[in-house]
Amino acid sequence: MRLLKRWVRNKRGITPVLSSLLLTVIAVAAMALATTATYVITTNLRETMSERLIIEDVWFNNSTGMIQVYMRNTGKVAIHVSGVYVNHTESYFSRPFNLEVYQHQWLNISRSWSAGDVCSIDVVTTRGTHVGGYYKAP
Amino acid sequence: MLAVTTKHLRTNKRGISNVIVVMLSLVLVVIIVSNVVLWSYQMNEIDWERMQEKLSLVDVERTSNSRWFTNQREYVLSGGSQLLGTYNDTQAIDGAYESFVEGSNDSQQLNINGDFALDFASYPIELVRSIEIQAYYRANDSLENWFMKAYNWTNGEYDNACFNSTVGDTPTPKFGYYGVNAINGWQSYVQNGTIRVMLYNERADVNQTSADIDFFGVRLVLNKPRFSFTNEGSMVSHVVSIWITNATSHTRYDADFFVDSGANSVYMELAIDLPVDSFTVRAVTERGNIAVFNKN
Repeated sequence: MRLLKRWVRNKRGITPVLSSLLLTVIAVAAMALATTATYVITTNLRETMSERLIIEDVWFNNSTGMIQVYMRNTGKVAIHVSGVYVNHTESYFSRPFNLEVYQHQWLNISRSWSAGDVCSIDVVTTRGTHVGGYYKAP
Repeated sequence: MLAVTTKHLRTNKRGISNVIVVMLSLVLVVIIVSNVVLWSYQMNEIDWERMQEKLSLVDVERTSNSRWFTNQREYVLSGGSQLLGTYNDTQAIDGAYESFVEGSNDSQQLNINGDFALDFASYPIELVRSIEIQAYYRANDSLENWFMKAYNWTNGEYDNACFNSTVGDTPTPKFGYYGVNAINGWQSYVQNGTIRVMLYNERADVNQTSADIDFFGVRLVLNKPRFSFTNEGSMVSHVVSIWITNATSHTRYDADFFVDSGANSVYMELAIDLPVDSFTVRAVTERGNIAVFNKN
């Protein structure tokens, strides 16, 4: 009973405890923040480095009136196409266009052309990878 | 000295705190750098492998052939007799041959008949375009042409009505090839998976003809495109798709076959339908390279 009374009256002991507790919380929060930042930074860098995309075929399809580009994801991460440029002009394409690892499918671009035209096609992903080239319409 | 350092560390709390912060920061930096470096190394390796891949599509043929089917029992002869060897000697071109001689009677002509069992279980009958019959033989009488006929099960007699050539072959004292193809209507020559073929000389004359047969066989010509690849790279190539394109269509076929390093390889695919006119074939590898072949 005497001890309890002394502990309740002794205000000096609480400040160091609170101070240590606060410091511990701040340290843990700082570490968690640093670890998360590390994870985010490394994941982003890794995903950007891992993007690989190829064009298997380009078809100037007269029956659909579209330029069809067959794409394959040969990298190690899923790919999201954010833009398509034909002759350096942004063109409308079938959105959203996503490719999982090893997945492949047609990317349809709405764009007119004439026989014999040479088109520069540039496909850009959300992470900034470019794939494309010059293709001649038959 | 140790006691002094320990005392110094005990009293100077700020120093320890700085060390811990620096150490933790270093750990995080090392994690980031090692992750990036290792991943970069791995992706560089993939790029390097892709650059090293050298797969070529050297030829594309519309048809392919089955293996040779040979006679599995002794030939049935008329107008002559067997001199040397057995039917086993006619199953491969290997220098071993079976010899026959015409009968001594001037009116006799040598007929050599054999039954050839075809394997329609391995080669589906609906894919068969024609039947090729081939002999590698020699005869001592070049005045007598040699011919082939097959037994027509519909008509009940030997004929060559469905053969691409009926002019026969003039033999020489040296071994040579004589072959014909049973094209449209070849089905009438086949019963229960067997074709009966007769090799005979044109007409009898005063010379008693002898013939040596090194090889006598039958094979199926199939409607099955054949793609010939050469891998000149140092790594095995995995072909994952084949494109057949022409002016009107771009068709993609899934593929799954490997071409060893330094090897020539043939890929046959039933599902691929080649256009009649000119076309381009592209084979795409798993690493992302494309081998191209133009057929005009």
